[in-house]
Amino acid sequence: MTAGADVILSLRGVTKAFAGLKVVTDVGFEVPRGQRMALIGPNGAGKTTIFNLISGVFRLDEGAILLQGADIARRPAGERAAMGLARSFQNIRLMPHLSVVENVMVGQHVRTRGLVDLLTPLWLPRNRIWAEEAEARLRAFGLDTYPNVVTANLPYGIRKKIEVVRALMSRPKVLLLDEPAAGLNPAETSSLRDFLMEVAAEGVTLLVVEHDMAFVRSLCERTVVLNFGRKIYDGPTAGVQDDPGVLEAYLGRRSAKGKDAAAAALAEGSIHAS
Amino acid sequence: MTLLLQQLINGLMLGAIYVTVALAFNLTIGILNFLNFTIPPLFMLTAVMAWAATQFGLPFGLTGPLGWAAALVFGVVVAVLASLVVERMTFRYLKTRYGDATEHAIPLVSSLGFLLIFQNLARMAYGTDPERFATPFNDMNLRLGGLIVSLPQLFSLALALLIVFGLSRLLKYTRTGRALRSIAENPDTALLMGVDVGRIVPVLFVLTGLLCGIAGAIFAINYGQVYVGMGDEVGNKAIAGMVLGGLGSIWGAIAGGLTVGVVETLSIQFFGGDTVQAVVWGLLVVALIVRPEGFFGHHAIGKGKL
Amino acid sequence: MSGYLGGVLVILCINVVLAYAVFLPVAAGQLNLGGAAFQAVGAYATGYLATNYDLPVPLVFVASGIASGLIAFVFALSILRTRSVYLVLATFAFSEFVSGVIVNVPALGGSMGLPVPPHLGSTVVVAVTAATTVVVLLLMQTRFGMAMRAIHDDDTVADLMGIGVRRTRVAAFTVGGVLAGIAGALYAFYFNFVDISNFGADSSIYLLLFVLLGGTQTIWGPLIGAAFFTVVPELFRNAVAELPAVTHLFGFSGQLDTSWRFVFLGVATVVMMVVRPEGVVTRIGLGRLLHRTPASVSERSQPA
Repeated sequence: MTAGADVILSLRGVTKAFAGLKVVTDVGFEVPRGQRMALIGPNGAGKTTIFNLISGVFRLDEGAILLQGADIARRPAGERAAMGLARSFQNIRLMPHLSVVENVMVGQHVRTRGLVDLLTPLWLPRNRIWAEEAEARLRAFGLDTYPNVVTANLPYGIRKKIEVVRALMSRPKVLLLDEPAAGLNPAETSSLRDFLMEVAAEGVTLLVVEHDMAFVRSLCERTVVLNFGRKIYDGPTAGVQDDPGVLEAYLGRRSAKGKDAAAAALAEGSIHAS
Repeated sequence: MTLLLQQLINGLMLGAIYVTVALAFNLTIGILNFLNFTIPPLFMLTAVMAWAATQFGLPFGLTGPLGWAAALVFGVVVAVLASLVVERMTFRYLKTRYGDATEHAIPLVSSLGFLLIFQNLARMAYGTDPERFATPFNDMNLRLGGLIVSLPQLFSLALALLIVFGLSRLLKYTRTGRALRSIAENPDTALLMGVDVGRIVPVLFVLTGLLCGIAGAIFAINYGQVYVGMGDEVGNKAIAGMVLGGLGSIWGAIAGGLTVGVVETLSIQFFGGDTVQAVVWGLLVVALIVRPEGFFGHHAIGKGKL
Repeated sequence: MSGYLGGVLVILCINVVLAYAVFLPVAAGQLNLGGAAFQAVGAYATGYLATNYDLPVPLVFVASGIASGLIAFVFALSILRTRSVYLVLATFAFSEFVSGVIVNVPALGGSMGLPVPPHLGSTVVVAVTAATTVVVLLLMQTRFGMAMRAIHDDDTVADLMGIGVRRTRVAAFTVGGVLAGIAGALYAFYFNFVDISNFGADSSIYLLLFVLLGGTQTIWGPLIGAAFFTVVPELFRNAVAELPAVTHLFGFSGQLDTSWRFVFLGVATVVMMVVRPEGVVTRIGLGRLLHRTPASVSERSQPA
């Protein structure tokens, strides 16, 4: 695997245990700059834990996480955000009592500099740029219908997209998306894919945890598969459904359906491990 | 030297009350992650209602004045019933609509409301003057060398230790205890595992009322007087005992409660009676800064955002 | 303005400043159970400075605010690194501690109270209150204010977004401390006498509750809460005095002083926590009022 300049995020020997139980064991992979990469696996495989380790919700026990060559594994979450990391959440975590625009503006926080940015009213001419940028972004993604509505009031699909827009406002180099398509209907899923394609086209590297294999195949070039906290596959997305180890992990060796059925299921994208 | 020893003994005896009340605090915060501010008023309510029953009998003129023992039982029953009312109105309503950070504080805020209600209703009904609560034990003392040990106090201390021991057995070995501990781990998982949370939680509040009631009764017997301010002045110090011992730790309640009792009597001895409040609460502030987990605490407590 | 109405207005103003002192930490997701204690620090600082030094009044105001703010800062800095329930406990302990200390310091009058010489009229009190309200309003419209609200809603996510959670909370708590100090100075200068028994734990609880009942999502909530729980008890002052039924429940007549106000607030708290825990004034409610949000997006939809 290539190392150095074109690898933007790399995990090495990452291990994490909760109360003595290893949830992630010696996981390592590299994400090249600009790639759209998926992280999949059955429930409890450790996908979200890896996201939490990368973004700084948890501290890892062993290993290293390199963002553009610098080990960030022991830095505070805020610092990682400032270095170009942003994420969304499996269950949407928008601030419920903030309006749509305000939520998106929270994403800009790492780009503010000094006390003047912090302590002057946001409606001053010098600060209007923040709201204008947020509104422009929302407009660009067709989310500008109710900019001043508190997000607790909005439909699920819209909140999901707002969360991605919020993550983008920090101008991240790497965007971690935790099950972006979960709970969306087919139309919404396809619009989300187009949306993420646009995001990637702007040069943002994507790392996506997702159960919907059809979505993964249409979005991601490469896929890492986890099972019981270990990496069992790392390669082109197209190769996932032919990999014996992956099939075994998803359906078990002695499955009544057999390998062909499993392969067919994976190919149809009908396997939702959740 | 004898004086110091005497104060130490007095401190341990006073500590028995703090141990019992701190235990009530520890149970609710350890199992429900709920800082229940109705505990000091329940303690006060027991003693004051018991006194009222000796003076005026049961409410609505049901019977004549009660004897001291029946009156104390009445006080404890009032505390348990009041605690169940608190359960109905606080813990049942944990969730806000949008699940923000202050939702965990809702029972706490409700309990502050109940604190105001109980304290001030009692004040309105009976005023703030200390009243004498006479029992046959008021002057039963044991003399050991130069030291005086009050028998009822010695009995109280033994009772407090017995309660802690019994409670730790109960939590460990009974079905109810296991259910309570599983709620402490994670209420959602407990529900999935078939624990009837809606029926187990009231048990905890009955226990809370009982503990406060026992402490209130002990206070009335030991000191021969009751007053509305005792919730503020005595019951609140159990909070210091709870923190010093460690939030959520049953055995910590013993260490913390006895420590507060001893610190209190020693500061009266060395600095005078007016300094108790400053010393005990100052100690608590320092403890919260230096060692917030207390003697035996663990970090799982208070994980909810307040 | 003079007499009874003037007195009510002044109490209302002081309560509004105090409400904002408590509101700021709550807006950042931290309950402060020591509001009255921080006010006491300000009031006694004012009393001490005005009695012992010949300082201009504005300087005493500033000094009182700083004294209280400084204690709040040190306090928040050392407690806020641990779990948040500890801050509730610590502020509660602090309010008991402050009462305990002041009673023992002869220079502060001990339990006798401390006279404060110069008198400031209600005009000054109203002006300072108006200024405070404007400052809080402006502060909440800055990125700092937005960060506070973001932390209140979800501190984990706020942290991941690069908002300095602890820094912001310490700052909010400290500014709250300064405001409480100023409220203390207003109290001392208007009533010309400070007595620690007026700043006890009960007052702190009262303060926190009316802020929470008013609602902490906007700056209007604390204002409404303070106004309601200051003015309504005054309106019923006479009516309640003729209602001794409760006191005769057990055949004994105690005092019917101001206790019933606390009972009223207690009942209001318990009821509100059941029916509307977010307080009277909410952003959604305010949004409906101002922007006429269509009903179609008001219904919160769930994932399929």
